[in-house]
Amino acid sequence: MDAMETESTRTLRAPMGLHPPGKSAAPALVVDSRNGTPALRGTLDIHTVTQAERSLEQAWGKGKSRTLDLGGLDRLDTPGALLLCALRKEGVELTGVRSEHQSLLDLICGLDLAPLAKPKSVSRARELVTQLGKAADEAWRDTIDVIAFVARTANAVVYMLVHPTAWRLPSISRQIAETGIEALPIVGLLAVMISVVIAYQGVAQLRPWGGENLTINLVAVSVLREMGVLITAILIAGRSGSAFTAEIGVMKTREEVDALEVMGLDRMQLLVVPRIVGLVITLPLLTFYADMMGLAGGALISHVLLGVQPAQYLVHVRQAVDLSDFFVGLFKAPVFAFVIGVVGCMHGLRVGGSAESVGRETTRSVVKAIFLVIVLDALFSILFEKLGV
Amino acid sequence: MRERARSADVVISARDIVNRFGRQAVHDGVSLDVMRGEILGIAGGSGSGKSVLLKTLIGLRRPDAGTVLLNGTPIAEAAPAERASQIGVLFQQGALFSSLSVAQNIMLPIREHTDLPAPAQERIAAMKLELAGMPADSGLKFPSQLSGGMVKRAAFARALALDPMVLFLDEPTSDLDPLTASGIDAMIGKLNEGLGVTFVIVTHDLTTLFTLCDRVAVLVDGKATIDSLERLLQSREPWIHAFLHGPRARGAMVARRQAHGNG
Repeated sequence: MDAMETESTRTLRAPMGLHPPGKSAAPALVVDSRNGTPALRGTLDIHTVTQAERSLEQAWGKGKSRTLDLGGLDRLDTPGALLLCALRKEGVELTGVRSEHQSLLDLICGLDLAPLAKPKSVSRARELVTQLGKAADEAWRDTIDVIAFVARTANAVVYMLVHPTAWRLPSISRQIAETGIEALPIVGLLAVMISVVIAYQGVAQLRPWGGENLTINLVAVSVLREMGVLITAILIAGRSGSAFTAEIGVMKTREEVDALEVMGLDRMQLLVVPRIVGLVITLPLLTFYADMMGLAGGALISHVLLGVQPAQYLVHVRQAVDLSDFFVGLFKAPVFAFVIGVVGCMHGLRVGGSAESVGRETTRSVVKAIFLVIVLDALFSILFEKLGV
Repeated sequence: MRERARSADVVISARDIVNRFGRQAVHDGVSLDVMRGEILGIAGGSGSGKSVLLKTLIGLRRPDAGTVLLNGTPIAEAAPAERASQIGVLFQQGALFSSLSVAQNIMLPIREHTDLPAPAQERIAAMKLELAGMPADSGLKFPSQLSGGMVKRAAFARALALDPMVLFLDEPTSDLDPLTASGIDAMIGKLNEGLGVTFVIVTHDLTTLFTLCDRVAVLVDGKATIDSLERLLQSREPWIHAFLHGPRARGAMVARRQAHGNG
């Protein structure tokens, strides 16, 4: 055995990379093809198995030997054993197997190994058509679901109007606190920022025409009609719509919704209506607050950019805006609130058993709520234009 | 009677482990050695800190006092790749990555820690599936499509991916029907004998403790009592006595007699 270190001996090293330090330093595997009898020595494990396979192929390329000596093998793991079993199946005789490796070899060679199943491949064009069809089908079902859910919500609200005891006032007030009061700082800050943005654009565009004082009209009208309510609704869709989906979704995964059902309690009355009603109350109030903060931001920026005093600013705003501008903005708020609430609760109840579906439905709910809010806003713009409001 | 090649090597050694949550000490000086090739059970009542001890032993939780040695070096200092090739864990819920198929779950640690070509990775993954008693076509499935028993087997196959020396199992038979649970027990025995894997099993399952484990560590009042089952059966400690002689222990005792010939 000592004479093995001859020229025909190839020494292999384990790949350095991620292999644990210390082990890779020693020669891992030795293929000795002297006398045409290859032998494996050292370590045959997941890190050395590829090289071993390659060197064995080369060794057998020359000679006709179909035996392999394993007497010098110190360490053997399951990928190594898998290689040896494959060799044995090809007719290679394994000699000198150590007793501690025998049970491992027996176990692995005794397995009825089938190749890993591959996913069926579908042609690109076919897949495109399938995906398109699926998406269309899903959009259709989605539409039906939203309509059905609105109807069920309306049904629950009507029931509760007839049976006033069914109102859950504590839970509505909790929703108002969570969706409204806690959102005040961020809504106010955003409203101020938006009026700053509009004012800067207005001054830059109107100054060449000498109409920079019209910036105040621009800020006041756009904040009151559009920006106040739109920014608030988008923020609340992200903040509260997502919370509705996640809260109800988690209850769904933990079978709490099923528990309600078994107790004979209506999920619409308990989970959905308080959230939607709470939001329908809060969003107009938040919008009013955002309007005021937006006008305050306008006063600030007018003072900085145009040198207009707050008292003058108020007079200017009074001339620029009509009461209808203010009500147009405020009118949209409860509609947006209803949409955000319905979408958020609907996706929450759609959550399946698993935790990852909570995340998926939350994303969908926020995207859909913001999409619907903006689409509705565009429709309202057209409607009010036609009505001349 | 099962015979195992066992030496006195200590694979994992925990010394004077103390774990506290607030003022409450869950472990108050727990010491235990895991021997190479053995099956060690960890038992204890609900809230006795079995899972916390498991987390400490695998290095996920740093104990408030005491040390855990993996092959003689502190486990906190072991390189991640080194630790991954030494320790495998079967988490209670399987912890399979939900975005990957079963086969991809098994191949992930192989792909990250070795430079094997893809076909070799797939061959190894197929072998691990077979070792865990799963059909090869189940490799395509995603964790959400598997039954409870299959999740455990798939997680088992993934835990075996890098041929770890020690496999930690957290409640391997909980939530399973008795037949599936027996299947898992049989698989543990087979892998222990065939691959020589050391097992540390946290379990309430008396049948697993009675039929499979060489030694059992019982956690009572923040301390661990570690001994062979024969000796533990003689224990006068009230909780251990009640645990091993309760109404549910009788069935497990019968299973033990069957498994060991006549006990």
